[in-house]
Amino acid sequence: MKFELITDLRTVRSGWRWGGVRPASWPEAAPGVPARASNLDWARQEPVRSLRWLIQRGLSAPFARAVTGLRVEGAEWLREQKRPAILAANHVSHADTVVLLAALPDRAREQTVVGAAADYWYRRPMLGRLVGLALNTFPFVRTGSAQAVLHSSSQLLRSGWNLLIYPEGTRSPDGRMGSFTPGVGHLANETRSPVVPIHVRGTHRVMPKGRPYFLPAPVEVRFGKPLEAHKGEGSRAFTKRVEDAVRSLGRGTPATEVMGSWIDRWRAAAPRNGGR
Amino acid sequence: MGRPGAVIEVDRNTPPTLFHYGEGVRLEKLPLGSRIVYAPDPMEPVAHAERAVRRALGHPLEDDPLKELLRPGMKLTVAFDDLSLPLPPMAQPDVRQLVLEEVIEMAAEKGVEDVHLIAANSLHRRMTVDEIRHIVGDRIFSTFYPDQLYNHDAEDPDGNVLIGTTSQGEEVTLSRRATESDLVVYVNLTFVPMDGGHKSLATGLGSYRSVRAHHTVDTLVNSRSYMHPPDSALHYSCIRQGQLIEDTVRCFHIETSVNNHSFPAVANFMQKRETDWTPADQASFLAVKQLTDLAPPGVKRAVFHSMRAPYGLTSVQAGQVDAVHDRTLETVRRQMLVEVEGQTDIVTIGIPYLGPYNVNAILNPVLVVCMGLGYLFNLYRGKPVVRQGGVVIMAHPCRYEFDSVQHPSYIDFYDEVLADTRDPAEIERKYEQCFAEDPWYRQLYRRSNAYHGVHPFYAWYWAAHALQHVGDVIVVGGERSAVHHLGFKCASTLGDALEMAEQTVGRYPSVTHLHLPPLFLADVQ
Amino acid sequence: MLALQYVRSVPAYALVRATGGHPSVVTSDLSMLHLGDVLEPGLPGPGWMRVRPNLSGICGSDTAAITGHASLYLDPLTSYPFVPGHEVVGELDDGTRVVVEPALGCLVRGIAPECARCAEGRPGLCENVTEGAVEVGLQTGYCASTGGGWGEVLVAHESQLHAIPERLPDDAAVLVEPLACCIHAALRGAASPHDVVVVQGAGTIGLLTVAAVRLFTPPKRLIAVAKYPFQREQAKRLGADMLVDPDEVFQRVRFATRARRLDGVDRPLLLGGADLTFECTGSARGLNDAVRFTRAGGRVVAVGMPGEERIDWGPIWQRELTVTGAYAYGTEKTGERTFELALQAAPDLALKQLTGPLFSLGDYRDAIAYALHAGRQNAVKVAFDLRDLRA
Repeated sequence: MKFELITDLRTVRSGWRWGGVRPASWPEAAPGVPARASNLDWARQEPVRSLRWLIQRGLSAPFARAVTGLRVEGAEWLREQKRPAILAANHVSHADTVVLLAALPDRAREQTVVGAAADYWYRRPMLGRLVGLALNTFPFVRTGSAQAVLHSSSQLLRSGWNLLIYPEGTRSPDGRMGSFTPGVGHLANETRSPVVPIHVRGTHRVMPKGRPYFLPAPVEVRFGKPLEAHKGEGSRAFTKRVEDAVRSLGRGTPATEVMGSWIDRWRAAAPRNGGR
Repeated sequence: MGRPGAVIEVDRNTPPTLFHYGEGVRLEKLPLGSRIVYAPDPMEPVAHAERAVRRALGHPLEDDPLKELLRPGMKLTVAFDDLSLPLPPMAQPDVRQLVLEEVIEMAAEKGVEDVHLIAANSLHRRMTVDEIRHIVGDRIFSTFYPDQLYNHDAEDPDGNVLIGTTSQGEEVTLSRRATESDLVVYVNLTFVPMDGGHKSLATGLGSYRSVRAHHTVDTLVNSRSYMHPPDSALHYSCIRQGQLIEDTVRCFHIETSVNNHSFPAVANFMQKRETDWTPADQASFLAVKQLTDLAPPGVKRAVFHSMRAPYGLTSVQAGQVDAVHDRTLETVRRQMLVEVEGQTDIVTIGIPYLGPYNVNAILNPVLVVCMGLGYLFNLYRGKPVVRQGGVVIMAHPCRYEFDSVQHPSYIDFYDEVLADTRDPAEIERKYEQCFAEDPWYRQLYRRSNAYHGVHPFYAWYWAAHALQHVGDVIVVGGERSAVHHLGFKCASTLGDALEMAEQTVGRYPSVTHLHLPPLFLADVQ
Repeated sequence: MLALQYVRSVPAYALVRATGGHPSVVTSDLSMLHLGDVLEPGLPGPGWMRVRPNLSGICGSDTAAITGHASLYLDPLTSYPFVPGHEVVGELDDGTRVVVEPALGCLVRGIAPECARCAEGRPGLCENVTEGAVEVGLQTGYCASTGGGWGEVLVAHESQLHAIPERLPDDAAVLVEPLACCIHAALRGAASPHDVVVVQGAGTIGLLTVAAVRLFTPPKRLIAVAKYPFQREQAKRLGADMLVDPDEVFQRVRFATRARRLDGVDRPLLLGGADLTFECTGSARGLNDAVRFTRAGGRVVAVGMPGEERIDWGPIWQRELTVTGAYAYGTEKTGERTFELALQAAPDLALKQLTGPLFSLGDYRDAIAYALHAGRQNAVKVAFDLRDLRA
């Protein structure tokens, strides 16, 4: 153990000419490292991850649960996850993400990335950094070429992250569900990931589109049985299936296909037996 | 494409140089007129890795597309390189994961039921569950582990088959599963020019019997160096063994190479040249230096070993092993080669915290020798950077500290063998066999996560060429008793070490500092 | 005469025990040990002679008695007050230099017929120690009638006296008695030439056991476990092949015997291990280690005097170990007396190197303190020099 901070500061200060001119004899300055990946990897590395764990566990999740009196159904589908999944939810208000993250089981939440619209959230860098830190977002380009987004999304899924996206593309103005863009189907097919349909109800009263502050109101989140694309099923058809599933969840119909039979749910909720 | 590698001469304005110092960093002022050799900047990775992999598998070199080689009902074995490379370990997804997922996808489409994935770890230790998962990804892990995804067991008497002897009398063994398969696919990551080619299968799925044919002091002394296969006796032996394997089993090799972007963003200062350090980099350096000076060893180790490198895939090719490997080596050399004019009297190296044999463990004194005088010394083409009879100065704390789970045979090697003699040839003669056949080491290799009993010997032989070539070795900042036990000299500062070196090489010596990692291959004219 | 006397006093004993055997307490006025003028012992009968000690060693058993660590088992076998000191080289009235064999058996006590143990040639195990010409006592140096080495004069039966050759100096002769103990232990251990033997502990007893084993029963490999570098040097000189630090004993013994090692909660154990171990420290740690690195079916010989130690008997039971004690000397199976063997072996062992420093009786407090931590201070056998009392 040695404490050499002062000497080190002196060495660095004189070596790199703090407050002075860059010596002419030094070669041309170059970045030396490749430019950072556009999906803002910093948010998914230590120490940001640990910081976020503290924020979510200690602050945002309990707070969200308290404000909304959160009721969750079907969380057992996410407890025994074997591989990363796409979480597809309907979008009603800005409060959706915080509420959904609070509804997820702890383990799933720690491994979840949220797609946030690049043109909205990342226009101002400070805001982008804030949501990146607190919610683990990555920029999701709504307009223009879908290829880059598809690529970064599939990278994240392959690296072990669950991906929470809102296939409607935008918040619903009145609380009713719109139609889903086919991106979710493309992504599922490209990465062969399962899609978990999620319906969130009640957030339009917490923080509707247009009102910048939030008020307490009851919220219910329903998770459905994970869907997988059938062999040869096209992306559009699969997206339609996901959309129908979310709609049924919203209606509350206990369709087996959407909620799973009691036997499936029973098994999904089984306690772990000594390690994976 | 960034800048090529450079050799900079130190003048009065040059900032101090970064030295790795085990699990720590230091800034040292090199004497005026010293040269510093820097690696080339990282190459641009390919734009779409998955597409590149698919293209390689669909248009292999001198072989049929993989899809056509797969048919239902066949026995397929997929072998892949273990975690001794790349160093530091790659951020997820690992390139091997990308390749394996494509291969498995094709196998699934063709309905190949009987698939086994084997980590080709040879006499290296078995990987833990988390380490395997890191390499193959969650999807493959959850589908295949543990019955169809496992480590190779080189000491399994029934699991290894003697398939023949080469023209030079080298025995060749191979995993039984591989010999009984209709197709063996090897997924390789060529990190340095030593890896890949015929060496993949010959050593990866071999056993002590086949490895000892070329891991001998004689062969290694005549490999000058083993980082440049055309000059390496080790590789010629592996090629002979590999050709015998090719004649016995149908193989399909997939080789990948990565750039040398070795450090995550928070440790950019380790990647960059000192003249490029931004104020953020300087702050990073100061933070890391204070952390490593003050933190307890456990914390330091955890922090360093959790680093994941954001490598980019620079090439992927598949097909017949020789054609594939030539192409791979082209790309690797393009990334790694640096021209160095002439040899020097003194070479200085900062030994990093990580070598191929201590992922998630401490670099013990024997491995310090293996790294400094083995791997790092041999990263040359043509002639070593240091002249015959010159001095190598290494910086490492070199403490008497061993990981008892991963390196049990290393402890006994250090205590018993090195106490008797340090000459590689005598060590080979007197002790190698009894370590190789020790039942406890065998048990630990097979059941625990320990390196094979004979492994410390190979670590020592790795330095045999250097021990013959250099006049003296000085360890800066090392623990005195450990350094002397290894047979080297000890100095507390770089200045003292340079003064001591003058006794061997004369006054006003030429000094070259090898600024690695990131790794490079010195092309010495 | 001037002598150190050990007195039986319960409060003194309690105090000494309470302080855990602290050097300044165990030799203070409140302890059991007193220096003073004492009546010279009278000759108990014919065949007895007076011996004036030249040098008298401080043994582990003496320090154990002084610090209150000796087993209470030995209390009834001792008569108080006694003058300690049983490693004696001295002079008879006619000037002959002799070394004293301390055991007080039937022959010495004048009891005929001999008891079964003395008839076997083991006077140290005599069953008649309560009878005879002298009071209760296993040895000279623990008997009220005979005096002992730490006094100006002691008395000994002629069968206890062995003349020493000229070429054996006093410094070396004072080690003849411990050497005899160790020879007896080595012969009891009976190592074969295929055995791997471990000698644990490198104080006087450990080092002399190494020498004895090397001389009389040379094994395949002789491993000495020694804590201090000075001890390791001597062990090497006296014939050990491998020198091991006590912290590494499991690792090094495992390597030497190609055993398997399992790490336990408190201590490791070896599957396999040494064939024969001589436990010369007498400590709980030493015994507990020894029963785990000696192979199943092997033998552990307790040579160093233990007290009431806490031993885990699990390994002894499961490994079917033979644990034997080795005490004193007598006549060995070959028919020769142990002391004779020791006197023959002693001159070639350069035992002088192990003796020192020497203290006069008046400096007994320093002497005892030094002896209590001899290893740390690069000493092996600390002894009293009584020659200056006569001058």
